[in-house]
Amino acid sequence: MRNTYLWFIQLITGALIAVLAGIHTVWMHLDAILGFFGVDLKDVTGWHSMIERSREVMWAGIYIALLAVVLYHALNGLRNIILELTPSARTERIVTWSIIVFGIMAFIWSVYVPISLLST
Amino acid sequence: MDKEKNEQITFKIQRYNPEKGSEPHFQEFIVTSSRGMTILDGLIYIKENLDSTLAFRTSCRMAICGSCGMLINNYPHLACHTQIEEFHSSRLTIKPLPNLPIIKDLVVDLNPLFETHKSIKPYILRHDDKEMENPTAEFTLSPQGLEAFLQFTYCIKCGICISACPTSASDKFFTGPQALAQCYRYCADTRDEGEMERFSVIDTDHGVWHCHLAGACSEACPKGLDPALAIQLLKRQMVSRTVGLGKKELPASTVPPNTETKPKVPFPDFTVKGSK
Repeated sequence: MRNTYLWFIQLITGALIAVLAGIHTVWMHLDAILGFFGVDLKDVTGWHSMIERSREVMWAGIYIALLAVVLYHALNGLRNIILELTPSARTERIVTWSIIVFGIMAFIWSVYVPISLLST
Repeated sequence: MDKEKNEQITFKIQRYNPEKGSEPHFQEFIVTSSRGMTILDGLIYIKENLDSTLAFRTSCRMAICGSCGMLINNYPHLACHTQIEEFHSSRLTIKPLPNLPIIKDLVVDLNPLFETHKSIKPYILRHDDKEMENPTAEFTLSPQGLEAFLQFTYCIKCGICISACPTSASDKFFTGPQALAQCYRYCADTRDEGEMERFSVIDTDHGVWHCHLAGACSEACPKGLDPALAIQLLKRQMVSRTVGLGKKELPASTVPPNTETKPKVPFPDFTVKGSK
C-alpha cells in the first residue's frame, strides 16, 4: 500500500502547510491587523528581526517544518504529474530517485541557515 | 431544428481502415431526419442505403448493451440513446471514442477496458473457501447494504467514462473510472472480503491515486452513474484500511435472516394440463 501512504502523507502535509504557512503569513504580512488587536511586532520584516526570530527555537522549528512539508507536498505532486505524462517503468525509477535526491539536497541546503543561526 | 418537419442532416463521420493503411479522414453523408430519430438510426440508414462499408457497433438499441458509444459533436454519447434533434444543428460530427484503440471507422477496441475490469476481480471474494466451493445458502444482503453500491451495478461497460476522462487521455496505463467504480462496487459489498486483494491492484502509480476528480466520467455516463463519487469513496476506504481508521465490519453470513416467511401460494387446481 505504498501509494496509499504517499497520498495520505500528501493530505497531512497539505493540512500542515495551511497551518504553518498561515502562521507565517499572519506574522509577516498582516502586522497591521495584528496591531489593531494590540500586538506590536515592530519591524517584523526587517533583516535584524528576521535574524533574531531565526535564533528562537520555536521559529526555527516552524520554518524547518514548513520547508519539510512544502518540499514533500510539492515534489510528490510533481512526481505524480511527470509519471502521468511519461508512463513507463524506467521513467518511474529515474523520476522517483531524482526527486528524492533533489528533495534531500534542497532540505539540507535550506536548513543550513536556521541551524547555523541557532548554534551562534 | 423544426421538430415537425423532416430535415437534411449532414453526418460528418470519421473513417479509418487500418487494413488499407489509410489515415483517419472524414466523409459526409446526407440523411433525412424525422422526429425522434436517433444517431444510431441515422448510421443504420447510411449503412443500408449510402455506404455499406461504414463500420459501427450496435446491438440492443436501448442503452443496455453499451455497444454504440461514440463521440458525437465532440462529446461521448450512446448513439442509440441520443436523438438528432438534441443537437439543434444540421451538421453532426461523429468520431470513435477517444482513449481507446480504433479497429475500424467508429468501432473501438474495448479489450483494454475488459482487461482492466477483469484485473480488479469483479466478483464476490470470500475467505471461507468451503462455502464458496459448496454453497449451502445465500449470503445475506440488507437493503441498506445494497444502497451503498446499487447505482454502480448499472454499469454497462460502454467505455464512455474512459473516453471522457482526462487522466485516461494523458496516462495510457491509468486504471480508469470504469474499473475503479466497479472496484468500489465490490469493496462496498457487505458479502465481500476481497478488498485487500483489489487494493493491491489499484494501489499503483497509475491506479486510484491518479484520479484528478475532474468529474467528466460522471457527467458523461449515459446510465447516470457517478464513478467520480465511487473513486472518492474508494480512496477513503483505502486510507481507512491502511492507517487503521474506522471499523471493518464482518462479512455477511450465509444464515438467512430470522424472519417468518409467508407460505408459498398453493399450486392452483385448475391448470391448462388439468383442464383437458
